[in-house]
Amino acid sequence: MLNVPTERHRLSNGLRVTLSVDPSSPIVGVNLWYAVGSRNERPGRTGFAHLFEHMMFQGSENVPKNRHFELIEGAGGSLNASTWFDRTNYYETLPSHHLELALWLESDRMGWMLPAMTPEKLENQQQVVMNERRQRYDNQPYGDWDERMQALVFPPAHPYHHPVIGSMEDIGAATLEDVADFSRTFYVPNNAVLTLAGDIDPSRALAMVERHFGAIPAGGPLPPIPGSTALPAVIGGTVREEVVENVPLPRVYLGVRAPSVKDPAFQVAEVASTVLGTGRSSRLYRSLVREKEVAKDVMAYLFPLETGASLLLFWITGYPGSDPGALERALLEEVEGLASVSRQEMDRAVAMTETHLVREIQQVGERADLLSMFGQIFDDPGRLNTEVERLRSVTRGEVQDFAGAFLGPENRALLTYLPGGSR
Amino acid sequence: MTPRAPAPPVRSRPPRTGPVRPFDFPSFVSSTLPNGLHLRVARMSRLPLVTVGVVLDAGESLLPDVQGGLAVLTGAALEGGTDRRSGPELAEALEGIGASLSVHTGWDATTVSLTCLADRMSEALGLLAEALLQPAFPPEEVARIRNQRLAALRQRRMDPGTLADDAAAHFFFADTVPYHRPLSGTPESLEKVGPEEVRSFAAGRYRPSGSGLVVVGDVDVGEVQTLARRWFGGWEGEPPLGEAFPEEPRSRERRIVVVDRPGAVQSEIRIGQIGASRGSPHYFPLKVFNTVLGGAFTSRLMLNLREKQGFTYGARSRFAFRRKAGPFVISTAVGTGVTAPAVREALWEVGNLVEEGPTPREVEQARDFIAGVFPLQLETTGQVAARISELLVYGYPDDFLRGYRDRVREVSPQAALAAGRAVLRPTEMVVVVVGDAGQVQGPLQELGLGPVEVASPY
Repeated sequence: MLNVPTERHRLSNGLRVTLSVDPSSPIVGVNLWYAVGSRNERPGRTGFAHLFEHMMFQGSENVPKNRHFELIEGAGGSLNASTWFDRTNYYETLPSHHLELALWLESDRMGWMLPAMTPEKLENQQQVVMNERRQRYDNQPYGDWDERMQALVFPPAHPYHHPVIGSMEDIGAATLEDVADFSRTFYVPNNAVLTLAGDIDPSRALAMVERHFGAIPAGGPLPPIPGSTALPAVIGGTVREEVVENVPLPRVYLGVRAPSVKDPAFQVAEVASTVLGTGRSSRLYRSLVREKEVAKDVMAYLFPLETGASLLLFWITGYPGSDPGALERALLEEVEGLASVSRQEMDRAVAMTETHLVREIQQVGERADLLSMFGQIFDDPGRLNTEVERLRSVTRGEVQDFAGAFLGPENRALLTYLPGGSR
Repeated sequence: MTPRAPAPPVRSRPPRTGPVRPFDFPSFVSSTLPNGLHLRVARMSRLPLVTVGVVLDAGESLLPDVQGGLAVLTGAALEGGTDRRSGPELAEALEGIGASLSVHTGWDATTVSLTCLADRMSEALGLLAEALLQPAFPPEEVARIRNQRLAALRQRRMDPGTLADDAAAHFFFADTVPYHRPLSGTPESLEKVGPEEVRSFAAGRYRPSGSGLVVVGDVDVGEVQTLARRWFGGWEGEPPLGEAFPEEPRSRERRIVVVDRPGAVQSEIRIGQIGASRGSPHYFPLKVFNTVLGGAFTSRLMLNLREKQGFTYGARSRFAFRRKAGPFVISTAVGTGVTAPAVREALWEVGNLVEEGPTPREVEQARDFIAGVFPLQLETTGQVAARISELLVYGYPDDFLRGYRDRVREVSPQAALAAGRAVLRPTEMVVVVVGDAGQVQGPLQELGLGPVEVASPY
């Protein structure tokens, strides 16, 4: 059992704070989770949560453009941010004597970002994000798989129907007024979790947090998520899309609706996903890559999502000239085969997950991010310490029931890429 | 727009820093087994983990072009099993203790390692030894893994980013330098190597003398030494010396090459030349010089091409320091329509920096960045094991990393500029563009840098 220490506080403006002390190296991870992501975007503004994340690096009242990066890098720190379906996180890892610098920067852009916004900065970052989209989606083999898969698995009214990156048109349509609205609505202390992990003195750290974030007023009530978040547990059939493009090898993606990360059944899905697709002793690797040699590589990944359902994703890449139908049949056969599972396979899956988790939390940045995640989703950062026990308590029967309920033909989105096309 | 609340006066400038706590590279214990295997053990006890790894003088640069990819293939084929266990049985044994075999083959070495909870260390060392000392290399497994590698090469050639990396290496280095080819070989070279070649490569090069066994984690040093003798004591032999090769460019004149990808919405740009080796006296000054140019978010390339022009999501530069001089390369991906201006700006930045040098303020910022992030790169048992392995591969003394931050902080603006000037020749740098030739060739021609060649994807 893990024993990552957690000490919790809440400022009067609603900011939740988690402190996790570890003096073994003189560094500290600072991590802020805002409960806002692509799910909160309104029609015509897809990609805006992510564009806004870029604007957060364009300065604030007391921080000129580029100064945020200069100060953190000059302090010997690393930093970044990421936008996802349900959340946006901002983080820096830096030498612990610079902790207050990070708190000053994060609080300045939480509370006093808008005075620094200009049309030039917005236009510049729209161009940067359009190039990010070109680089990751439009100029990349299979680059648009998530855009297509999300549209297959989630109905048009559901907030996961569109990708985080958004459409070129919507990225270009954003205005400074959108930036101001978004900041006032979502970038408020009562919609965020702040975690400090590493070489800190808890009482001094808490005083610093209070000093820098305490004056930021709480925001109003959060607006409902646009569209319809209600979702049947399964897709309700098998939906398909075939894409003929300039890809090197045929590839089949299988997307499956799975329980939300808040649902206790999520842990069952995690074990199922690992048994099927993680490691060389997993079923997909052993059968499809090693024995049948139909696949060059296989992958299974469970995206932990909050709003209605998670996405369990598989992919299998064939060889030149592979018959896509045969690829698909081989994949589905293994996935359905999970109706019968052994205790040994499950034990291996939990052992691998445990090593993975302990490896991850060696880094104060990863540890802070996980504590923020558990703080945000469950209001319980200490849940990190019991995560492995929860996986270990999953039973064979539960995995087999999961296979029956979620891995059949009534819950499948199949996306196939075939080589061809002009580019 | 007005702020929601008045900022208290304290906000107007960055807060003062607190007291600095010291940091040094974790200490480790060195010894050598009678068979010549170097043992390095570092204790990191914050979490109950251990990384065990063997680093071998079995890199790709030992191989002639006709066998390119054999070292990578041999490392990958270790998953085929041992004299005692089939491939699936080996995988089950490893994954049963929460570990998996991680094989990394580079130009200078092959590293085979695994990480698991510390209480499984004895089993981990036993399995690592079995995989390395008794590999079976069954012909059907080698054939399968070769097919996987061939398919992976096909993916590299159709991904514009990796295609650009490979094309740049080809145009930077003469055919006499192994670095001119892709690390994992070519379809032609991979077709020519099979189980025989894999067996013979491993038999010759997976040998203890001069190799390293590196153990990092929540362990007892004495216990590791005992286990190392038990599992690796019976291993014998010494790999032969590799053949030397020159540091020869393909051309001493600037070339501008477009690899055609009709219809591409972006151009992948690579600009560069042969860089410097690990042992170069300019190693630390070049790290500082490169950080100013393109090694950090606040570097000149990023501030110009991204934050000023909006041409790209990112622009960076990098020296690959190998036993011999690896490539120096500027990389970016830009919209097709701004390809020529992006090339112009990138060349201007590197030319200007070599001409006028970084400012003292930039050098200070770069030094503080490199020295400051050093402990951030040493948080995990795997990171520390990798740095200790590097000491063995490049023949550094044991205390090299203990003085690392001081050596970074000693770099003066003059030394950084002198190093940049000694190594970089912006007017001779090769420009490679993977993009839509029909749209970018004309504008590139108009830059007046020289003739623009068009190559088809290869």
